[in-house]
Amino acid sequence: MTTTVEQRRRRTGVFFVAPALLVLAAILFYPIVDSILLALQRVQLAGGAVTQEWIGLGNFIRLFSDPVFWRAALNTAYFSGMEVVLVTLISLGVALLLNHPLGRSGFFRILLIVPWAIAPVANAVLWKWILNANYGILNGLLKSIGVIDYYQVWLGTPFSALNFLLIVDVWKSVPFVALLMLAGLQRVPQSLYRAAYMDGAGPWQSFLNVTLPTMRGVIAVAIVLQTIWSLRVFDLVFVLTRGGPADATALLNFLAYRVTFNFLDLGYGSAIANVIFALTFVLAALYVWLLWPRDVRGAR
Amino acid sequence: MTFARLQQGGPPRQAIVILGLVLFTCWSAGPVIWLILSSVLEQKALIAQPPDLSPQNFTLDNFSTVIGAAASLGRGIINSLIVAVFSTALALALGAPAAYALARLPVPRADNISFLILATQMLPGIAIAIPLFILISRLGLIDNVLSLGIVYLSFNLPIVIWILRGFFLGIPAGIEKAAAIDGAGIFATFWHIILPISLPPLSAAAVFAFVEAWNEFFFALILTRQQAQTTPLVIANFAGQYQTVFGQMMAAAVISVAPVILLAILFRNQIIRGFADGMMKG
Repeated sequence: MTTTVEQRRRRTGVFFVAPALLVLAAILFYPIVDSILLALQRVQLAGGAVTQEWIGLGNFIRLFSDPVFWRAALNTAYFSGMEVVLVTLISLGVALLLNHPLGRSGFFRILLIVPWAIAPVANAVLWKWILNANYGILNGLLKSIGVIDYYQVWLGTPFSALNFLLIVDVWKSVPFVALLMLAGLQRVPQSLYRAAYMDGAGPWQSFLNVTLPTMRGVIAVAIVLQTIWSLRVFDLVFVLTRGGPADATALLNFLAYRVTFNFLDLGYGSAIANVIFALTFVLAALYVWLLWPRDVRGAR
Repeated sequence: MTFARLQQGGPPRQAIVILGLVLFTCWSAGPVIWLILSSVLEQKALIAQPPDLSPQNFTLDNFSTVIGAAASLGRGIINSLIVAVFSTALALALGAPAAYALARLPVPRADNISFLILATQMLPGIAIAIPLFILISRLGLIDNVLSLGIVYLSFNLPIVIWILRGFFLGIPAGIEKAAAIDGAGIFATFWHIILPISLPPLSAAAVFAFVEAWNEFFFALILTRQQAQTTPLVIANFAGQYQTVFGQMMAAAVISVAPVILLAILFRNQIIRGFADGMMKG
């Protein structure tokens, strides 16, 4: 009797899951596999027709000798590395502020949710206006307080353009990561702080010995997620700089788009996309490993 | 020093906290306030240094001009609405039963499937965009709002499943047992018992999926041409064409972000709980 009930529950379960899995197979797994196959071919789009020809690892060999690819890889390494460090530190700071009795007002939660909800494109358009060389408010502000003597073309030089891209993306990313960290901070048991207090720990000591160790998992997850998210930044580059000046802001993601949909070199574009996929895959595996439920030994 | 006093800190620490909160408020709200101000100021006042904020310079002309001049914006908003509603509804219809089964029913390898689904949510669009572009071109479905909505399931369905699974895992087993004793089958339990008590996480998942679909740019860029253009594309085109009419550019941006910002503010607590917790727990 119990087995039949169990069997029925199992059958219904599979029936419930199957439609979603079929859809995901069609729009995720099929394209991923096909993307790997495309990278092994010369695929060109001409006159609306797609021509395909197997060339083995040709596209990947071409990657290695392509200076534009290496430039984009370097840009991406700098952008993602700096972004993760800045977002993690600022978010932790913001989360600590909002966890303080003075920062618990609901107003600050609204302040965090608004930048998250703003469309990346609208955000990029807004910052294009803020950074405008002739009338932008950043130039006006900095000049009026004497930081600069002349208006700057912020997006005009390679180093400055890449860093402003970084700042704008940090602005957009901090709120959400701060929310993740705030949720983590609120799960640190008060009894631990009490115990630290009884042992005579000051605020700094209890931050080092209670907050940081219990937050280690949350911070690790936030770092991995933010790295993954930084690899997909596209809208900002598209609206603010289109990869310029001199490819200084061409991130890998944008390069794959440009090669595929502007130069119509679909095979080579897929090869670049595969590199991004491989990076993300490793990071996603790390993320899953961090979250995977384990037997907690010694707890309770 | 009492414990509560310790947590609050002395006057120096409170001063630092207040300073930090003020800085954070300016940094977060500054650009958003400037966005709104720019959209309601006349061009002359806007490009004056410093911007002239006297009351006679405030106007709604930017909005009426943008709405009147650009038919593409109206079409973009309608397209965005269709794509976002369609994709969200599908994600919920497919995702809610799947999440329930993965959390509560003896599906083989349920944990592995769940984490695989979570991992796919991390994929960058470019990893699947090229084959999807070729496939959709061959089917003749480029520039079609419904095909765009289905592609959006690639990120919306995983996240809906993940948010709901987290909630379903926490439902006490007694509720299902009581339903079973009353003679309810699995379908009836899911439909009459589980779904009604899941309205908060369902709305969080719905708002989340809606916002993501409304804001999406990359797939819209490669899979639409003219008829199916969504709002972010229209805004990006504006930024190229109307470079110098800053007020109108900002008015268009305000129109495009206002609906989702309102949604996000209204549902902020559900979003924060559903997503922030969902991304942190296995």
